[in-house]
Amino acid sequence: MAERWDRVRVLALAPDAPSQRAAHSLASGRSWLLTGAAEPGALWGECRGSAATPYRTVVDLAGPAYRCSCPSRKFPCKHALALLLLWADGSVEEDADEPPDWAASWLTGRAGRAGRAQAGEPGEPKDPKTAARRAEQREARVATGLGELDRWLCDQVRQGLAASQQAGYGHWDDIAARMIDAQAPGLAERLRALASVPYSGAGWEGRLLEEYALLRLLAVAYLRQAELPSPLRETVRSRIGFSLRQADVLAGGEPVRDHWQVLGRRDLEQDRIRTRRTWLQGRKTGRPALALSFAPVGQVLDDTLTVGTDADADLVFYPGAVPLRAIVLTKHDALDGGPPAGDTIAGLLASYAAALAGDPWLDSWPAVLDVTPARSPVPAVSDAAGRALPLHQGAGDCWRLFAVSGGRPVTVAGEWTPRGLWPLTAWDEAGRAVVL
Amino acid sequence: MSTWQDLVTASLIGTERSVVPPVAVPGVPTPADAPADPAAILLDRAALLTVARRGGRPPEQAEPLPAAEPDPAPAVSQAAGHRLARILSGEHPDLLTEWLSAAVDRGLRAPAHLLPALLDRARRVSPADPELRRLAAEAGGSRARWLAGLNSDWKFVTAFSLTGDDAWRLGDAGQRRGYLTALRARDPGAARELIAANWDAAGPDERVMFVNVMAGGPSLADEPLLEAALDDRTAWVRKMAADVLARLPGSALGQRMAERALGCLRLARGIGGTHMVASPLAECDAAMRRDGITPSPGAGRSQLAGQAHLLLEVIARTPLDTWTGAFGRSAEQILAVPAGGWAPVLFTGWSRAAMAQRDQEWMTALINWAIADGLPGHPSGAETLRQLVRRVDPALAAPGITTSFLAVLPPAVRDAITVLRFRYDMLKELDDDHSAG
Repeated sequence: MAERWDRVRVLALAPDAPSQRAAHSLASGRSWLLTGAAEPGALWGECRGSAATPYRTVVDLAGPAYRCSCPSRKFPCKHALALLLLWADGSVEEDADEPPDWAASWLTGRAGRAGRAQAGEPGEPKDPKTAARRAEQREARVATGLGELDRWLCDQVRQGLAASQQAGYGHWDDIAARMIDAQAPGLAERLRALASVPYSGAGWEGRLLEEYALLRLLAVAYLRQAELPSPLRETVRSRIGFSLRQADVLAGGEPVRDHWQVLGRRDLEQDRIRTRRTWLQGRKTGRPALALSFAPVGQVLDDTLTVGTDADADLVFYPGAVPLRAIVLTKHDALDGGPPAGDTIAGLLASYAAALAGDPWLDSWPAVLDVTPARSPVPAVSDAAGRALPLHQGAGDCWRLFAVSGGRPVTVAGEWTPRGLWPLTAWDEAGRAVVL
Repeated sequence: MSTWQDLVTASLIGTERSVVPPVAVPGVPTPADAPADPAAILLDRAALLTVARRGGRPPEQAEPLPAAEPDPAPAVSQAAGHRLARILSGEHPDLLTEWLSAAVDRGLRAPAHLLPALLDRARRVSPADPELRRLAAEAGGSRARWLAGLNSDWKFVTAFSLTGDDAWRLGDAGQRRGYLTALRARDPGAARELIAANWDAAGPDERVMFVNVMAGGPSLADEPLLEAALDDRTAWVRKMAADVLARLPGSALGQRMAERALGCLRLARGIGGTHMVASPLAECDAAMRRDGITPSPGAGRSQLAGQAHLLLEVIARTPLDTWTGAFGRSAEQILAVPAGGWAPVLFTGWSRAAMAQRDQEWMTALINWAIADGLPGHPSGAETLRQLVRRVDPALAAPGITTSFLAVLPPAVRDAITVLRFRYDMLKELDDDHSAG
């Protein structure tokens, strides 16, 4: 049997907080008519629900993958989570009989598919000539797509943005789909995100114009990439959606060893893919870094960088005008962190301005500030010099930040964006990191 | 910068119907190879201004908040804080009250970062549980009061800080209760006089509250008031008063109940050894009703069910030392005596008595008996065990349980052991804090 998980690991799989609570209340022996586990890592159970017949839940720990007969559209559903919690508590008998037929058929089907998938993995170095031809084709497609995007953007401004409020999501989904066809997924993502801007309250016209303007800047930059210095060209290409293979990043960059403070992290979800953004800062070099990890919804995100600790590690940065994204090459040691040194608001604005000069599309920048939160005129943080920056509306009420501060200065780490500061971590009076 | 607003206005109307305003950023030359399309010109100028505005953003001003008063109470340890976070995220949510009152008793406060979740939970529980709100406010300390000043959803916190006579004269039901509870803790005699003086004028809800307050550590000095309440005009007041008297050591009601109980249950020595013989009462007379016993529910039930019900009601209100005294045995030894078909009724009755009288020896013995023998077949057995493990002192019950085969136990027993262990760890963490602080 697979090594038992702890509850934290199970709960990290939950799609939201209500699912966690529902799973807790189901994770008692009373709800389950039967449970079992078998080699190499299968769990199953029948759980009483509102329907006449019990729900049948199966979990394959490798993956993990889930199957449940309940009608929930959440994934994984509360039954699968509750079954995992029971197992984590040691309440599922491990050397049970063979799984019942309804579980066994799904498990065997999965094992078969997994075998085929491994066999059919696309081999890496194809014929170099074919690879070169494909790359060329893609460049041509992207160039055509960007030409099209540029015309579309100009059309919007020619006809007037006022019409956007009646346009509906399809308006942006169509052009985003065109960018997918043109193999420019980075642009597609940016475009889809724009659909909500016309409903984002006062000032939406300005925000939409900013985004359109930066998109045209990106299109023009790509079409004239030959004139750009190489790091800026890499920035442009990565924002459009050309991804570098990790091996190429590692081959092209020098490892930077430092005690990387794990400042904070933010999980985002789009198109059933979860992205974890973990912000780091070197204690010696002072250098900011961003580690990204991805997982399909229902799968475990990388958890090796714990907020509030330091990682003695070698990082390799992706190339770019403002190298930020990095791969953790080797983690030598995990150390007790302690609060990072907070900057002033003037210092943050200066460092962001300098970074923007290199990468004009940069819209999130790590901030570590010694500040006091305030409520008025808008929720904000304010430093000892009396300078203040608003909090990002999307971050919610930020009550935790207020509770930790109690009206006194605290060290806060977060993402600075053109829409305000998105606070991620605060250090309390005992110097302990509190995830916000 | 008004030029940005001009650009926005032009883009809103559309370049078909407006002129693109010129833009200049100091130090940035105007590009020579400008495109011909006015829309493209507008977007290029907007891009330039967007980046200039983002890079050159001036800081704003904010009105500072008054700082929270420093809290003299130390915070709980990290381990205890983690456990509170687990409870708030849905793991054994019914143990929140216990965590809070254990922290308050030890003079500790909840970690600041958990206060928003704690206050939200306390707000969501119906006002029927003012105790949770009071405990949350108290465990939250000055930081919670400070937060309540910022978020009107949490106003109830400040209600508990109305102090002195004001809370009694001007406060709402919750504040009056808070005042009376605090007064009783400080000066039980004064609280009793206040209740007696206000009894006749009080409405039924307030009389229920009076009895509820007296339920916290009742003494024989409360007996006359409570005994009088047995004849109250409101049924709920009568019932509550009877419940409090039943758990008051040495009360006359306890004596009356013991006399009834001893007539119902005795030990007999037979060929197979000692066993329990029950001869339940046939009917519920007026005196029994006055003492809080409810007659058998429903006429459609069998005579046996009716008798079992009365036996259970009597045993549940009988002082437990009645049995240890009359039988000359410990709780554990009494439970070991075979009782045949009456065992489930006795288990439930004794369990209710043990919980009401907070008798740790009996609760521990009952739990051990239920876990060792599997649960008695009575349908309420699982529920009774569920309640027992939430009230027993886990330091007595938990260490005695040794089982490495959780998975093969009946679900109700497994849940019971999980709860015991959870509570054991929870109180230990808070005690560790206490000795350290």
